[in-house]
Amino acid sequence: MAERGASPLIAVGRWVHGLDPNMRRIVLYGCILAAGISAPFVFEAYTFAIAVLWVMILFALTWDILGGQMGYNSLGNIAFFGIGMYICAIVQIGLYYDVALYTAHDGAVNIHYTPEQYFTGLALGIVAGGLGAMAFAVVFGLIVFGLRGPYFAIGTLGVALAAPELIGAWDYVGGGGGISLPNYPGGPDERSRLFYYLCLIFAFATFGFLKWLYSTRFGLAINAIRDDEEKAEGMGLHTMRYKMIGWSIAAFFLGLSGAVFGNMIGFIEPLEVAFPTVTFGIFMIVMCLMGGKGTLWGPVIGATLFHTIKEVTWAHMLGWQWVALGVLIIVTVVFFQQGIVGWLKNAFPEWYGITVDEAVSAESDADIAARLTRSEAAE
Amino acid sequence: MTMWHRMIPKLVLGIAAIALVAAAPAGAKVEGDTIIIGSAISFSGKYSTNGIHASNGYNLGVKRINEMGGVTVGGKQYKLEIKYYDDESTPLRTAQLFERLIKQDKIKFLLGPYSSATTKAAAKITEKYKIPMVEAEGASRSLFTQGYKYLFAVLSTSEQYLASSIALAAEIAKKNGRDPSDVKVAMAFENDPFSLDVRAGVIDDINKFNMKIVVDDKLPRDLSDMSATLIKVKALNPDLLLISGHSKGAATAARQIKELQIDVPLIAVTHCEAAKIVDKFGASTNDFLCPTQWAETLSYTGKYFGSAADFDKLFKAEYEGYKNVPYQAAQATAAVLVWKEAFERANSFDTEKLRDSLAETNMQTFYGNIKFDQTGKNIAKPMVLRQIQDGKFNVVAPTKWASHPVNWPRKAQ
Repeated sequence: MAERGASPLIAVGRWVHGLDPNMRRIVLYGCILAAGISAPFVFEAYTFAIAVLWVMILFALTWDILGGQMGYNSLGNIAFFGIGMYICAIVQIGLYYDVALYTAHDGAVNIHYTPEQYFTGLALGIVAGGLGAMAFAVVFGLIVFGLRGPYFAIGTLGVALAAPELIGAWDYVGGGGGISLPNYPGGPDERSRLFYYLCLIFAFATFGFLKWLYSTRFGLAINAIRDDEEKAEGMGLHTMRYKMIGWSIAAFFLGLSGAVFGNMIGFIEPLEVAFPTVTFGIFMIVMCLMGGKGTLWGPVIGATLFHTIKEVTWAHMLGWQWVALGVLIIVTVVFFQQGIVGWLKNAFPEWYGITVDEAVSAESDADIAARLTRSEAAE
Repeated sequence: MTMWHRMIPKLVLGIAAIALVAAAPAGAKVEGDTIIIGSAISFSGKYSTNGIHASNGYNLGVKRINEMGGVTVGGKQYKLEIKYYDDESTPLRTAQLFERLIKQDKIKFLLGPYSSATTKAAAKITEKYKIPMVEAEGASRSLFTQGYKYLFAVLSTSEQYLASSIALAAEIAKKNGRDPSDVKVAMAFENDPFSLDVRAGVIDDINKFNMKIVVDDKLPRDLSDMSATLIKVKALNPDLLLISGHSKGAATAARQIKELQIDVPLIAVTHCEAAKIVDKFGASTNDFLCPTQWAETLSYTGKYFGSAADFDKLFKAEYEGYKNVPYQAAQATAAVLVWKEAFERANSFDTEKLRDSLAETNMQTFYGNIKFDQTGKNIAKPMVLRQIQDGKFNVVAPTKWASHPVNWPRKAQ
């Protein structure tokens, strides 16, 4: 059919296949990185949408640390996103203005930031956002890690629901009136690109860090907690410490993304923007399930697919977008419980370096039992 | 080996298909003889009632202008058309959609979303790209202290919504031989930029008269229950009850005031008309005070719709199910009229020229006079306070516009 037209592609495919695995990996990462870096120039109009995609990938990756690798389904991770966002905003404003005056409901202060003030505030704010979210993760962790299974899920949901109410009642940061963040002291495209690259860097950093982390003893330890926590504890793993570190890592990257995202949107408020529990908070789980939880690439693929589908339905199916999304979630949960990567692993195990011996797998259990008995008898 | 052969072409085709679909909406600001104006408004979520009122208003404005020959720019006649997205009542979505309207759809003329919170998010984006936006539904004063240059609002700001009800309560107290400082006020506000600014305005006035605040609550985020506040109100017997929570808050208030039989002599609620509380809750809403940006009984006239009453009639004929035309719809229509005149005055599609032309706006419409100050807000139009008297909305304050005396105390139904 399209064989002739696609022949250069086949040649590329053949070339890629001919490379050794390490080289293939480098080509793959190189391509993604090149695409990511060039996107704001090639698809300039889509800069914002692609920046959100990187944030979505970060969401899915961080949720998977606990939800996929450690078997702790948190519904409250979005809290760290909002906490990072608010800490960053407070730092950005607090460095140069009285925050309470800045956020007054009648708009008391006329704001002007010099470029130097802006960038100092932003840089310090992002770092503080990440670290602050991490600190909160430790505090919340002490409370909720006593819980297991659905109790843990609901406990964390409580955190995500309480946080916006608390901030909404806190007049110092404007309560439900929210905060308009300082204006970027430069051109619009420059601003878009700055926040785009921050999102890109944080998503790549998360991926790289987790790739390394999962290859260490830490990865094995949290997998052990997922498989059997009592046994892991019995084997001498300090499970609480592992859980806490896992959650803090998720919180740190979520805090960074929240700090950047708040500035990208420009206006933050607690109920809808900083703590979107029923949208982003749920999306991060759906994306993991869709891509395949407990895998490194699953969240990335799931987030990419989910975000693309979402953007297309939102633009072309006005009024039906939530229905389309609901159908997508149901189909995923019913038919692809292992997600795309999980399904691929089953369908094409050889892609994952798992060798399947057709002869052995064709044997019935009875044959194997018989063979084993024979070999035992021969001894 | 064979796997790669089979997968790659499919994969590439798939990605190309997705990219094609995603790239399809890329249009231009002016297509042929049509000027495309963009807006993201709440068709779903907690502000959807008013989002729909506002979009009805926009659509009626566009329809009327097109019927009258459209917009003339450079000697050529153009039709108006609006491209909508649904912001789901959340500023998070608003920012993304305005970004999309400007960058992907290349739209250079914008109409605002519904609510102050979403307008604040939209203004950040329009200001960044220097794209002018005429908004009709964001009233918080904090929108106009940021030095925005591309934001123009046809409506009065939020501190004016309930201020006249405080003055009215003071007046009534004096008439009854009481000191205004004896007046006890209970209030419940939504936790959003609009209602918080309404509250800030009210507090200024309460302090002026030295009144006592006995209840000062926030409505819950989904605005579906305020019984806790109302039970307190019942116990404390205030002289004045103030409620602001957009349409959903007004509907909740009217429903629970009826259910809990709250008997306060003076009750003021924002967004009564938009929430259709008279249709829904009947006589139990009698004597509610409702601030409004516009009333069909006022003596405003303009060249596109005639008088306020004519607009009222036309709107009801055009859209079913409206017993009262909410001001949210009227001001949305007015925003479209502002755009029309700005295009013709600028005689250009250049956004900078349009911005300057918008700033020069000084027009009389069925909605009232429209003239923007330096910060972009309309300073030529007052707000009025109406009372629901036997199912009808009658203007009772300020005195200059009042057609009926205020009923006091409110007859509990």
